[in-house]
Amino acid sequence: MDSGEPSVVLPSSTLSSLSLSLHPLPILNISEHLTRLRLQTNNVLPFVLGALLGTQNGREVEIVNTFEVAVEQGERVDHGSFNVRKEQYKQVFPSLEFIGWYTVASHPTSRHISLHEQFSAYCSTPLLLILQPTHISGVSVTSGHLPIKAYEPTIEIRDRSSRSVYIEAPFTVETGEVERIAVDTTARGGEGGTSLESHLQTQRAAVKMLHDRILLLVNYVKDVISGSAPKDHATIRSLAALLASLPASDSQGFRDEFETEYEDVQLTAYLSTLTKSASILNDIVDKHNVLHSSGREERSAGFLSSRRRGIPGRGFGGVPGDWDRMH
Amino acid sequence: MASSSETALKTFSLTNDIRDISPQDEIYKYDVEANKRLIREQPWTNDPHYFKSCKISAVALIKMVIHARSGVPWEIMGLMQGKVVGHSIVIMDSFALPVQGTETRVNAANEANEYMVQYIEESEKVGRLENAIGWYHSHPGYGCWLSGIDVNTQMNNQKFTDPFVAVVIDPNRTISAGRVDIGAFRTYPAGYTPPNTSASEYQSIPLSKIEDFGVHANQYYSLEVQIFKSALDTELLGLLWNKYWVNTLSQSPLISNRAYAASQLTDLHQKLTKAASNVSQTKPVVPALPSTGEKISSTSKSQKSEPKKEVENQLAKNVKDSTKIAMEAQHGLIAQVIKDILFSSRPGKASLEAITSIEETVEMAIG
Repeated sequence: MDSGEPSVVLPSSTLSSLSLSLHPLPILNISEHLTRLRLQTNNVLPFVLGALLGTQNGREVEIVNTFEVAVEQGERVDHGSFNVRKEQYKQVFPSLEFIGWYTVASHPTSRHISLHEQFSAYCSTPLLLILQPTHISGVSVTSGHLPIKAYEPTIEIRDRSSRSVYIEAPFTVETGEVERIAVDTTARGGEGGTSLESHLQTQRAAVKMLHDRILLLVNYVKDVISGSAPKDHATIRSLAALLASLPASDSQGFRDEFETEYEDVQLTAYLSTLTKSASILNDIVDKHNVLHSSGREERSAGFLSSRRRGIPGRGFGGVPGDWDRMH
Repeated sequence: MASSSETALKTFSLTNDIRDISPQDEIYKYDVEANKRLIREQPWTNDPHYFKSCKISAVALIKMVIHARSGVPWEIMGLMQGKVVGHSIVIMDSFALPVQGTETRVNAANEANEYMVQYIEESEKVGRLENAIGWYHSHPGYGCWLSGIDVNTQMNNQKFTDPFVAVVIDPNRTISAGRVDIGAFRTYPAGYTPPNTSASEYQSIPLSKIEDFGVHANQYYSLEVQIFKSALDTELLGLLWNKYWVNTLSQSPLISNRAYAASQLTDLHQKLTKAASNVSQTKPVVPALPSTGEKISSTSKSQKSEPKKEVENQLAKNVKDSTKIAMEAQHGLIAQVIKDILFSSRPGKASLEAITSIEETVEMAIG
């Protein structure tokens, strides 16, 4: 933290009670905004400012989209263009509201408080999302945390005076199904072998992740038993609760549904194979006809209708000489 | 995915040590002068096949796909901002337009024009310097191709605001296939006949649209779609995966696709019924004969079988459709069975053996 000024973030012991979910799109948007500005200004740390769009329902907030905000001299928000943009997004995504803003910094400072005041005209408690580019080197990459922090503004009253401060808000990453597929596609670089391959790879990666995490828990329990790790009762209790909930879906109703689903899928596969064999059979019959009827151009109507019947699964019992007559 | 998260780390550590711009990010730079020069020269006017590929940034792709999905069952449309690099069109960003169409009727109405102009003006203020380079719209459930109206729109665009590209996204198929179904197209100038009408990658088109598809199929060609991302994107994507891998396990493609799968089956049924009445007239495809001597004798035959070839293909096409449906359903089931084994089997006395064998396989697969 900067030594001169008092921290604008309350100590991490007080976390916001906000339930915040963040979609991948805003994260990538900020990253793209930063990359672009870096290249245009030839500055490693340009001033990045943008608005967050999303939905708020009580204490549940979802950040879904973003747009860039134009800045005037002296880090003032260009309110004219901001309003235009806000209205334009409102037109295409009517369910999304302005709920906060983003920037790139290592942690909030008084500079952000002054920006916060400019945004509070549009929303009573604009959230702040920060991408920490300098913070990424070394430790946090290996720990697998996103270099992103969310803050909720609040007012601190101390010594009979109030000031705006931020409290950190924990967030989860949420995706819709299409969003997940799109993100997966981009993460793989657009190409991903056959569809089965890519499907299995996604599943495998997810299972591996689960496996890794379970291993971590197993190791922890082992350490606790051997006494080398401190016993955390809350953790162990939630572990026990987790184990007790397995198997996850044991009810008869679910089993029945699952069986039906299973059979449906297998039926689809069976029908598809049947169609395929019918088509192959049709091919063979066609080829056979060409071989054996060269010269005879006109085929009787009887031939046609009997052939049609013959397609689905008629035994090839006839002697080769009879073929043309029968079909 | 796991490997991509590793490479993400590697790329990042590489780019982080060198504080310069990584070559991966070079594409994000916009050279105003070079672009002006290019626009003046217009090298694409002489060659209808000038553009070979279409590069789409991660952000633009995700925005378009989400927008397309939010519009289902309606068609939506929007514009893309980007530039030209060599023989490819590079799409940097996209934005939605307040237009919602029914079926193949999406068209940029006048109300959208004002929105468009205003949006692009505002974009310049925030450092998005690229101009509009194309438009995108969605075909929910019926594949990526250009309809007659789309061809007209695109032709006009190419006439007046070239370079311009048309991108089509199918949000329904994206979900059912588990990968983004996207196509980028350029139309040929009016009166131009492409030298060889090689059929592009086969795709299934619903019966109700097949006429519209067939008539205009020779008026445009598709560009190869590539996706690019910045070094920072790569790194963030790797980290993101650590956060949302749970979704892969918690979502069931079988359930989210139920309606779409049913509609596909209905369509397939209709096609098969149609094909069934034609089956009796099918003839085998005459194999192409390379030697010139036999060519003369085969011409009469091949001429005759030319119109019938269509019919022949009908059943074969339906087979492809049905295989695709079955494959997607199987994928969904695989995911479901994996989950069932993982979460719903309790290591009891009888199944203990089975479980250990499964564990071994999983160990082997994961290890």
